[in-house]
Amino acid sequence: MTDVRSPQAGNGAAAPGVAEEPADVAGETIAGVADETETPRPGGFGAVAWARWAWRQLTSMRIALVLLFLLALGSVPGSLLPQQGIDPAGVQQYFTAHPALAPFLNALGLFNVFAAPWFAAIYLLLFVSLAGCVLPRSFRLARTARARPPQAPRHLSRLPNSVRYETAMTTEEASAAAAAFLTRRHFRLSQGEGWLSAEKGYRREAGNLLFHVALMGVLVSIGLGGLFGYKADRLLVEGTSFADTVTDLDAYHPGHLVSPNDLAPFSLTLDKFSASYVASGPDRNQPESFNAHVSYTAQPGDAARTYDIQVNHPLNVDAVKVYLLGHGYAPVFRVTDGQGKVVYDQATPFLPADQSTYLSEGVVKAPDAKPQQLGFAGVFLPTAVDVSGQLESAFPAPYLPAVSMIPYVGNLGLNNGVPQSVYQLNTTGMHRLATPVQVLTPGQSMKLPGGAGTLTFTGYRQWVSLQVTYDPGQVPALISGIAALAGLVLSFLVRRRRIFVRTYRGDSGRTVVDVAGLARSDVGGGFEAEFGELAAGLKSVHDHDSSPRSEETE
Amino acid sequence: MSDNLGLAQLSDHLLIVAVVVYSLAMLAYAGDFAYGRRVKAAGAAGKAARPVPELAGVGASGGAATPGTPEGPEQPTAAVPPAATADSAPGDAGRLGPLIRGAIALTYLGLAAHVAGVITRGLAVHRVPWGDMYEFITALTCVTVIFFVALMMRYRAWHLGVFVMGAVVVALGLAQTIIYTPAGPLVPALKSYWLAIHVAAMTLSVGIFFVAAVLGVVYLFAERYSRRAAAGLSPANHGIMRRLPSAVELDRLTYRTVVFGFPIWTFGIIAGAIWADQAWGRYWGWDPVETWAFITWVIYACFLHARATAGWRGRRAAYIQLIAFGCLLFNVLVVQTFLTGLHSYAGLG
Repeated sequence: MTDVRSPQAGNGAAAPGVAEEPADVAGETIAGVADETETPRPGGFGAVAWARWAWRQLTSMRIALVLLFLLALGSVPGSLLPQQGIDPAGVQQYFTAHPALAPFLNALGLFNVFAAPWFAAIYLLLFVSLAGCVLPRSFRLARTARARPPQAPRHLSRLPNSVRYETAMTTEEASAAAAAFLTRRHFRLSQGEGWLSAEKGYRREAGNLLFHVALMGVLVSIGLGGLFGYKADRLLVEGTSFADTVTDLDAYHPGHLVSPNDLAPFSLTLDKFSASYVASGPDRNQPESFNAHVSYTAQPGDAARTYDIQVNHPLNVDAVKVYLLGHGYAPVFRVTDGQGKVVYDQATPFLPADQSTYLSEGVVKAPDAKPQQLGFAGVFLPTAVDVSGQLESAFPAPYLPAVSMIPYVGNLGLNNGVPQSVYQLNTTGMHRLATPVQVLTPGQSMKLPGGAGTLTFTGYRQWVSLQVTYDPGQVPALISGIAALAGLVLSFLVRRRRIFVRTYRGDSGRTVVDVAGLARSDVGGGFEAEFGELAAGLKSVHDHDSSPRSEETE
Repeated sequence: MSDNLGLAQLSDHLLIVAVVVYSLAMLAYAGDFAYGRRVKAAGAAGKAARPVPELAGVGASGGAATPGTPEGPEQPTAAVPPAATADSAPGDAGRLGPLIRGAIALTYLGLAAHVAGVITRGLAVHRVPWGDMYEFITALTCVTVIFFVALMMRYRAWHLGVFVMGAVVVALGLAQTIIYTPAGPLVPALKSYWLAIHVAAMTLSVGIFFVAAVLGVVYLFAERYSRRAAAGLSPANHGIMRRLPSAVELDRLTYRTVVFGFPIWTFGIIAGAIWADQAWGRYWGWDPVETWAFITWVIYACFLHARATAGWRGRRAAYIQLIAFGCLLFNVLVVQTFLTGLHSYAGLG
């Protein structure tokens, strides 16, 4: 990406024209001119010489290309292998399925590619390379923005686009008319004895630089989010609340510089959740809409407000966003133990096991039951139907809600220090009670054998899983992204081009005008047409305005 | 939501008509390659009054035209002798034989059916017609044909139609057989006006990159031919090659096509990020589809840079462009279909 020559150097006064130009003409990319001379390797062992050589290599287009390729290549395993940050369960499964290969891949960081040191090394090197290329160019652009275009080449007919014609004007008049014509078209001029050189399209380079600087802005924005942002989940049953505090959140992932006091002090209650589904046809059971009706207070003491959180419609509380990620059913159970005491009475979130029918699985743990602890594992069916003796759910909406639970007695194992999932029953210290499989509808109970107690299915509620995120890098990332796009479009649309005019007395005694054009960048094409139009305009100026006075009236 | 079954069926039929007509167009283009009468350049010179931008070089100003190749020293791969360049410039419609005129007419006819098919699908489902994989492919191939026609109106290299039509017929045929999804409503995650914006940008850019990829393949053949011709290994005036634009022109056309598609692709990624932020709570999360969109973007960026780097121009750059399109295809056909991620909306079950 190093622009080896400054624009002026490529077109010095003695430049014979075309021979100097190929690099400029071919510089049609967003990175601009890239023909480079190979930097000779330093002969000795001087640290400065080596450092300079390394820097030149790093900021060269070739290395930037290789780094770009490596960046693309490095991303591939991130999409083909399960990733720690996105799918931790998938990583576990991979370890189980490939016990020999997985540790090796893990050592290479392939289960967390986008946070791996080697991946960071690639993009940081790429951005250093970019900075080493972009910054010097910015300075150069600032200089050339005020500089005049170089002298016109001697032999204009050697340029890719050129015309020659004669005019009745004197050489001075013709030069002046051409200068006036090009100035009207916002060309920047420099003039000399019998020549004129005009340039236009500096915004192209500006767009190119804007694009690359904006890409660095995107990287900085992502870093900002990683330092000051946070992300957490929360499962919330209808009628319950949570506050945005570390203790009240599940799976809390703070940024590196976030302290618990930085969390926005809002609290939120799930009033009701509703969903609708396609009832018939080939898309039956497919969800149509989800709606979580919530009420929230932004600050303690504020009035409560309500909002409907939907997919694609998160709640925004002081730049913290609350998203609806999932939903499910929480059947309400009451457990009475062998001594007739109610030891459990609450909504119990079950996890959907089948996304199309919402057949859900879950457990009930009653550690306070006497004489022995009680546990239940089973299923919740939103629309329970009997399919030839097999209990199934026919539809995800709760039309015929029912549960079927298997009772266990014994030791739940909650006190042995090993953390347990609330969705699983550890049955090692328990035994299953011999009861026939029973289907309970709301209000129905099942008596446990041997006077161990009673389980009552009193009803159900729904739950939602919410994601709470705060990312201060969001807006900067968006601005950078838009700036990058604007820079890209600018650098593609604007062509940087030069028009040269030479006037001299021909053999016949009349004034000969040579006009030539050169597109230093012409990505979108069309310079030939523009040149033709400009040349025709110049010719008509030279044909018709035989006196310089009429030039002014136009 | 009640989907209009009659309109949905009409859409299916229109798209089948489009494939059939495109196939006929492709045969006509191919027939012109094989049997088309070569109109003598001398006879056509008088008719070639209409200036052809780019391909015919300058000359619009009517002045003393520059001798030598119009490209000057810009392209080191310009191995085609100047005479061949001028002759193979596909010229204007006055030089086109009856077969290729028929092919062009069939292209327009097929396109009309194609556009009507896409629109009726949208009317049938009361939303933008790019909500599942089948609709996405029918819409993007529609963009491909529109872009190709627009490009040829300007550059008049209609003989490229055989390659573009071939690719479009394969893609549409695939969409109608193994990818076909009946008209249906959207899942809640897709119900957002960002579907219209994000997927429209992706559809547009993929359709355009499709044209670039076809041009890239043709370029590789033309470049190989021109190298062999320069070395005396191939006849200098091969019948098929002289109907195509020269390697230099194909390279430039490919480049401009990519340059047209790249900002749209970039916009599509940004729009997708905004949507992802609304729907999933983060603007970028390395979901497999996001990752591959990024990889595709990076490799197209490689192509744009490579084309300005000494030693990477020409063939190498063309290969990079094809790799980028390969990544894009992989993303559309494999990642979205088989890898589980948040973008699994293909509707293939």
